[in-house]
Amino acid sequence: MMPGTVFRSVLDHSLESLIHRLRGLCDNMEPETFLDHEMVFLLKGQQASPFVLRARRSMDRAGAPWHLRYLGQPEMGDKNRHALVRNCVDIATSENLTDFLMEMGFRMDHEFVARGHLFRKGIMKIVVYKIFRILTPGNTDNTEALSLSYLVELSVVAPAGQDVVSDDMRNFAEQLKPLVHLEKIDPKRLM
Amino acid sequence: MGVTCVSQMPVAEGKNVQQTVELLTRKLEMLGAEKQGTFCVDCETYHTAASTLGSQGQAGKLMYVMHNSEYPLSCFALFENGPCLVADTNFDVLMVKLKGFFQSAKASKIETRGTRYQYCDFLVKVGTVTMGPSARGISVEVEYGPCVVASDCWSLLLEFLQSFLGSHTPGAPTVFGNRHDAVYSPADTMVQYMELFNKIRKQQQVIEKRKPNQ
Repeated sequence: MMPGTVFRSVLDHSLESLIHRLRGLCDNMEPETFLDHEMVFLLKGQQASPFVLRARRSMDRAGAPWHLRYLGQPEMGDKNRHALVRNCVDIATSENLTDFLMEMGFRMDHEFVARGHLFRKGIMKIVVYKIFRILTPGNTDNTEALSLSYLVELSVVAPAGQDVVSDDMRNFAEQLKPLVHLEKIDPKRLM
Repeated sequence: MGVTCVSQMPVAEGKNVQQTVELLTRKLEMLGAEKQGTFCVDCETYHTAASTLGSQGQAGKLMYVMHNSEYPLSCFALFENGPCLVADTNFDVLMVKLKGFFQSAKASKIETRGTRYQYCDFLVKVGTVTMGPSARGISVEVEYGPCVVASDCWSLLLEFLQSFLGSHTPGAPTVFGNRHDAVYSPADTMVQYMELFNKIRKQQQVIEKRKPNQ
């Protein structure tokens, strides 16, 4: 599976306008909010870069499975492609995931809480969320917002090789201007 | 899933694995059990790659990745005396990505395949345990469907086991342990299968060591 992703952010005071527009553009469904706790684990070997896995759990939906995600390196293919493309593996797991990862040799690198809204349009997923830093490790009640903005993420998970998806994403992103300009992130700038 | 007991049936004197399985299944059919399809439980063993060991400074651990045809969309990953993770089958894809860190132990795949029998509230599975092309033993799994608390139904399970296993009836599985009132789960069954497979592997190693040099 390969997700294509584009990112941007909006300041807090623009959130309502963006949500209003997304409600109009996206599939008709009950507004869905979420509150998730994500932990990023690393496994260091003699390879240059550690293996990264992301473990995510819902804090507001009791009984939901935990979610484990592997994201590969960004594909450096076609520069004209409008979205960042990476290999991904998504796994639903039981709630003893963190104990199991530690037993495998993984160590937690960082964690955060994400709170926001989820929208769908066909196979596209649009998430508008705020990231909160956890002040005391393991205590998700004590958090502080990382910034005054909400992150806007447009993503699609599709079988490898479907570049048509990237054009759909660009067309959708056009409709969100000028509220937010969704763009492909240059991964080298993040290093 | 109801409370389940997994045990090994020794091969009958003067008979081979297949003949012993046939003896057992005939006994079950005489009791009145009905055949209900087949089952398979398999186990692959992984060990931490040497490249990871050095940096972590710990002894290599064995991780078992198992599948059970009763739960076709699930995958079970466990460590001996450690946690058992229940995941969906994408976990197998993740193990391929992790091959630089976890390597499959040579010729480690072991599985048991056989027939399922329903007898009232009991589900009995008699399987031939194989490593590669060779049959190495016999597994017997008995599940009592209506009950999920081991301490509430172990006596009943034992009585049923005695009715067709006779003197080969096993003791209470170690997974029941001290958790008398805990709810039984499929992960407990997979731990029992892991213990059974390890026991059969060790028995096989002893047999290999005893073989005279050619």
